[in-house]
Amino acid sequence: MSDLAPADGLGPWQQFLCRACGLIYDEGEGDPDSGLPPGTRFADIPEDWACPICGVTKADFEPYRRRAPVAPMPVSVAPQRRPGVVIVGGGISGWSVAEAIRAEDARVPITLVTACDGGLYHKPELSVALGRGLNPEALRRETGDAAAARLGLRLMADTVAVGLSLERHSLRTTRGTLAYTHLVLAHGARPALPACLDPALCWRVNDLAAWSALHAELARGPRTVAVIGAGMVGCELAEDLARAGHAVTLVGAGSLPLPDLLPEPAGRRLLTGLEGLGVRYRGNSLVSGLSRTPDGLTTLALADGTRLSAATVIAATGLATPSRLVRGAGLAFDHGIVVDPASLRTSGPDIFALGDCISLDGQPCRFIEPVAHQAAVIAHAILGREHAGYAHAAPVIRLKTRSAPIALHGAPVAGAPWYVVEDSEHRLAMEQRQGGAVTAWLAA
Amino acid sequence: MPSALALRPADVRVVDVPPAAQDGFDWTDAAVLAGTEAIADGPLSAAAPGIDRGTYPLDILGRFGSVGALGVHLDRHGARLGLSIAAMQAASRACGATGFLMWCHDVCGLYMEQSGNPSLTGARLDDHAAGRSFGGTALSNPMKAFAGIEPILLRARRVPGGYRVSGMLPWVSHIGPGQYCGAIAGVTGPGDTISHEIMFLLACDRAELRPCPPFSGMEGTSTWGVRVDDLFVGQDEIIADPARPFIGRIRGAFILLQCGMGLGVAEGSLDAMLAVEETLGHVNQFLDDRPDTIAAELAELRARVMRLAETPYDGATDYLIDVLDARAQTSELALRASQSALLHQGARGYLMSAAPQRRIREAHFVAIVTPALKHLRWEMARLSRETLPTAEGGRA
Repeated sequence: MSDLAPADGLGPWQQFLCRACGLIYDEGEGDPDSGLPPGTRFADIPEDWACPICGVTKADFEPYRRRAPVAPMPVSVAPQRRPGVVIVGGGISGWSVAEAIRAEDARVPITLVTACDGGLYHKPELSVALGRGLNPEALRRETGDAAAARLGLRLMADTVAVGLSLERHSLRTTRGTLAYTHLVLAHGARPALPACLDPALCWRVNDLAAWSALHAELARGPRTVAVIGAGMVGCELAEDLARAGHAVTLVGAGSLPLPDLLPEPAGRRLLTGLEGLGVRYRGNSLVSGLSRTPDGLTTLALADGTRLSAATVIAATGLATPSRLVRGAGLAFDHGIVVDPASLRTSGPDIFALGDCISLDGQPCRFIEPVAHQAAVIAHAILGREHAGYAHAAPVIRLKTRSAPIALHGAPVAGAPWYVVEDSEHRLAMEQRQGGAVTAWLAA
Repeated sequence: MPSALALRPADVRVVDVPPAAQDGFDWTDAAVLAGTEAIADGPLSAAAPGIDRGTYPLDILGRFGSVGALGVHLDRHGARLGLSIAAMQAASRACGATGFLMWCHDVCGLYMEQSGNPSLTGARLDDHAAGRSFGGTALSNPMKAFAGIEPILLRARRVPGGYRVSGMLPWVSHIGPGQYCGAIAGVTGPGDTISHEIMFLLACDRAELRPCPPFSGMEGTSTWGVRVDDLFVGQDEIIADPARPFIGRIRGAFILLQCGMGLGVAEGSLDAMLAVEETLGHVNQFLDDRPDTIAAELAELRARVMRLAETPYDGATDYLIDVLDARAQTSELALRASQSALLHQGARGYLMSAAPQRRIREAHFVAIVTPALKHLRWEMARLSRETLPTAEGGRA
């Protein structure tokens, strides 16, 4: 929040939420990086301004009301005797559920169990933070302890949920066993690293702790960096690393980046944009192994027999939802925790799930936009309040590559043909059709 | 300090093995369980208070061995870990200390068989598996050392034909004159750095056994401090060299077998609650952890342990966390059940001769013996962390 008090007679500073990435534009803080000084009213922002994180325009923002402050409850240090809501996961999903419950009810006991320190940060920022010169302190919006005090909940940080008994409504953790009335699983997904990549030799950027450790390594000065995997995260990180001054090689399995998602003309624009920033793309390449050289570099052995060395290696090879906890308890699992699409209930009694760890019709949906809606649905169900339910819509996919931003709408199908609608120097528009109807379209 | 040799004349026990214990008798699942239960419900129940105070029940262990209760987890007898755990549960229901001795004995047999060393897997293992000879395990320290909790205490240096081992282990159970235990020593090279570890079968007669201070219970586990000074370990005694891959392979079975102790102590506690239900149920209904609650959790946990026992050598990290989780829960359940049993029985359970107060101490033993509840949680947290690059490389 800004210290600057509004003097324009238009009332308190307002906040606006980016529907695509969840960034909150605060009028009091402005966006100095993009030339908007603190105190810039949303209405006064030029139409060509873009979200500093994901690049969408003003039209994709909606007014955001910080939830009515609820008087925090004193949090006892001792375990609560009265079971209440237990939330597993200290990312955006877990905290969103806690916020949504507290917005409606100040008293129900909440315990949030998280394997990390519980600090609040905005995950989409991780793939654009290096180029913006941000450090871990700047990314952390609030400490876990402060958020716990604000929301009157018990935070169990650095605590892993290891076992779940449905009948007894109990969750076993590495700091003791908790009884719950309702359980919310929001533990997210974890990087899926192929067996040929030694985890001690390559970074994965999926949370603030890992990003912070990588940041510390990169802060020593410009270095050669290899990014394995040219999916969304790989492309965004490659651009971000290049903007931060590093010499980046992006290793992809296809001849162009993002082959599963983008048709060839769009992939080419993306590649041109990345190469314009100095990213070297090594296409049609699969990494078969990593090894450390005596001089401290890491060598990537490629499937075609060639080699490539870098001081830092980052793997962006996709995510997978951990299944041990839920499968062990007998919950339905299909590429993610199976939930009812309207109520977000799992197959277990009084257990809900949201965010990166769920699957809807067998498909995970790892975008931030739906999380707030999902959290509200779950909070209402737990508190026994009416709610229209969750209606899933494929979120707009925005590639945070400012060198060549790309937005995908609808439900693109890998392998299905794309038709060019417009292909000019400044704009590429394409669409997928099924039975005469447009099912997906993109703008690059 | 008395050494094992010095102890021998006064303390050596000759185990009477009934003729039926020789090869060729019935070790089917049903026979093993029935035989074990008969011993547990009869002589072991009667001996339990004495064992708690210091009687080392080698005679009863010999009888357990003869009915198969100490050998069925071995590959040569069908790798029936579930049956082994069930037998340990039946014994621990009567006497937690004896259940612990069975575990010590079971894992020692496991080391010998899995070593693949012909000198350890032949007649020596046959005698061990049938309870004709006895040995335990001295892995508390190295297990904690491998988990990064404490430094390794025994040190070995390479000499022609083997190693020389020196050092002191604070407490090792189920050992004595003529007995043995599996042990691990760090091999030191130049500069006193440890290059790797070896695992070997340590003969107690070649070590100095030092009495431990009195424990608050379970005194009949024959627990000693073990000191070795320049002990030669030759190829015939080697269980594994290097030891870490071997430990990695048997770790799941090692920990899972312990579940029999906690399950048995919890079940014995449940027995004690039910024993007073008719007379005290009208007031006991106001207690937490009533028999139905304990019974339901016990049944669920036991079923989970039995499922895990079907694949004891599964090397996946997820499997190991499942095992650690089940083992941790047996500790928690034994603690809660034993406390509740004492509350259910009231003053009669508090008598020095009463089983509930003994089980309180047994349950705490289950929760503090390696891997202790805190170690299990530490290890689950460690295994759950992602490995990321570090200056040193590897998991932090």
